[in-house]
Amino acid sequence: MGYLLKTDWWKWLCVVLLTYTVIGGLLLPVPKLPILNETIRTLHFHVPMWFGMILLFLGSVIYAVKHLSGGNIKYDTYSVQLANMGIAFGVLGIVTGMIWANYTWGEPWSNDPKQNASAISLLIYLAYFVLRSSIQDEQQRNRISAVFNIFAFFLMIPLLFILPRMSDSLHPGNGGNPGFNAYDLDSNLRKVFYFAVIGWTLLGFWMATIATRLSLSKQKLEDA
Amino acid sequence: MNLHLHDVSKVLHLIKKDLIVDWRQQNPITGILLYLSSTIFATYMAFEGFVSTEVWNALFWIILLFTSINAISKSFIQEERRSHYYFFLCKPNEIILAKLIYSFVYLFCIAIVSLIIYSILLGNPIINYSLFILNLTLGCVGLSGAFTMVSSIAFRSSNRSIMMAVLGFPVIIPVLILSISNSYKILDSYVFIQIQGNLTALFSVDVIIIALTFVLFPFTWKS
Repeated sequence: MGYLLKTDWWKWLCVVLLTYTVIGGLLLPVPKLPILNETIRTLHFHVPMWFGMILLFLGSVIYAVKHLSGGNIKYDTYSVQLANMGIAFGVLGIVTGMIWANYTWGEPWSNDPKQNASAISLLIYLAYFVLRSSIQDEQQRNRISAVFNIFAFFLMIPLLFILPRMSDSLHPGNGGNPGFNAYDLDSNLRKVFYFAVIGWTLLGFWMATIATRLSLSKQKLEDA
Repeated sequence: MNLHLHDVSKVLHLIKKDLIVDWRQQNPITGILLYLSSTIFATYMAFEGFVSTEVWNALFWIILLFTSINAISKSFIQEERRSHYYFFLCKPNEIILAKLIYSFVYLFCIAIVSLIIYSILLGNPIINYSLFILNLTLGCVGLSGAFTMVSSIAFRSSNRSIMMAVLGFPVIIPVLILSISNSYKILDSYVFIQIQGNLTALFSVDVIIIALTFVLFPFTWKS
């Protein structure tokens, strides 16, 4: 995060990749699959949100650990802003997914393990912010919320492996649904998808650095 | 963690202290038992007559979930005035070990009492008792461990009872879904070998919870 705050070559990379994702994702040929049809293009816009969310939460946990071991107050700001952006990505992922599912599966919510897992991850990080707002003392707030951040993240990981074992998923590529297996083989989708994941994730970190700068300047003004 | 004989005796003293506090105050434990009985009775009035095995199982675990979050939330909240005293007397490792053991025993007793009342009112479909109790024990380890940790976090916030539920429920879901599905399979007369994998998964989640609690608790304790 400190490195990301100082350099900007990756911002240009992000702009290039996302321009390519939007143009290529909407215009390049896609495989013709039953039910999915052209909605398969949502792969480049919906799925990267989850990659971005998990990576942002991971960054948040890393800075929570650093904060607990080092105690630098800057790390706490990094951790909070990364979690904030992770929630934004998660909400976008859930909303795009529900719109897509409404047309493809016939209902916005159908007890799919991936839907449930994403809802639970959002609940955990919303609880993190409620916890932060309910502790008055600043130092204590930073430390206790870092503890909860680590505790909840490491229990969220087994959840992502356990839930799919409990019930079958409707998601493409799971349980005999067409889609992902085809996309694994289909080089046309792969040509865009990997770049889309990198591009959207970089955008997430970019927005997190801006929010961090804002928050750090506000702290400076308050201290002054 | 290096526990010497001296530390073991400290842990035993801390457990004994919790036991004595609960024995003298009595209103928390009577409160929890009454909470349990009235919840089960309300469930009985609402669900009487159409309780299938699946519903029986899910209801049992939901009642246990709500009872345990109420029972264990007290574990640090009652320490408010005493915490400074322990702070100089014991290491955080000893305190959390004592708390984990005590809340497990406490919750396990509550679970057995609730199983008895529940099966009297709503029927008893259990065939394989040893396997059911094994799964119940693993579930109780997870519930008591996670809620003890969450209680030590919620202890520092301003509205504790709400924070217990808000922080606790999303975190407990892996333990809850694993133990509900195991226990349904056990009621459905599965044998040990068929659910070995799921029991191992539940055990691993318990281990993760306890390991995280040991690593993270010292940071909530020092202030």
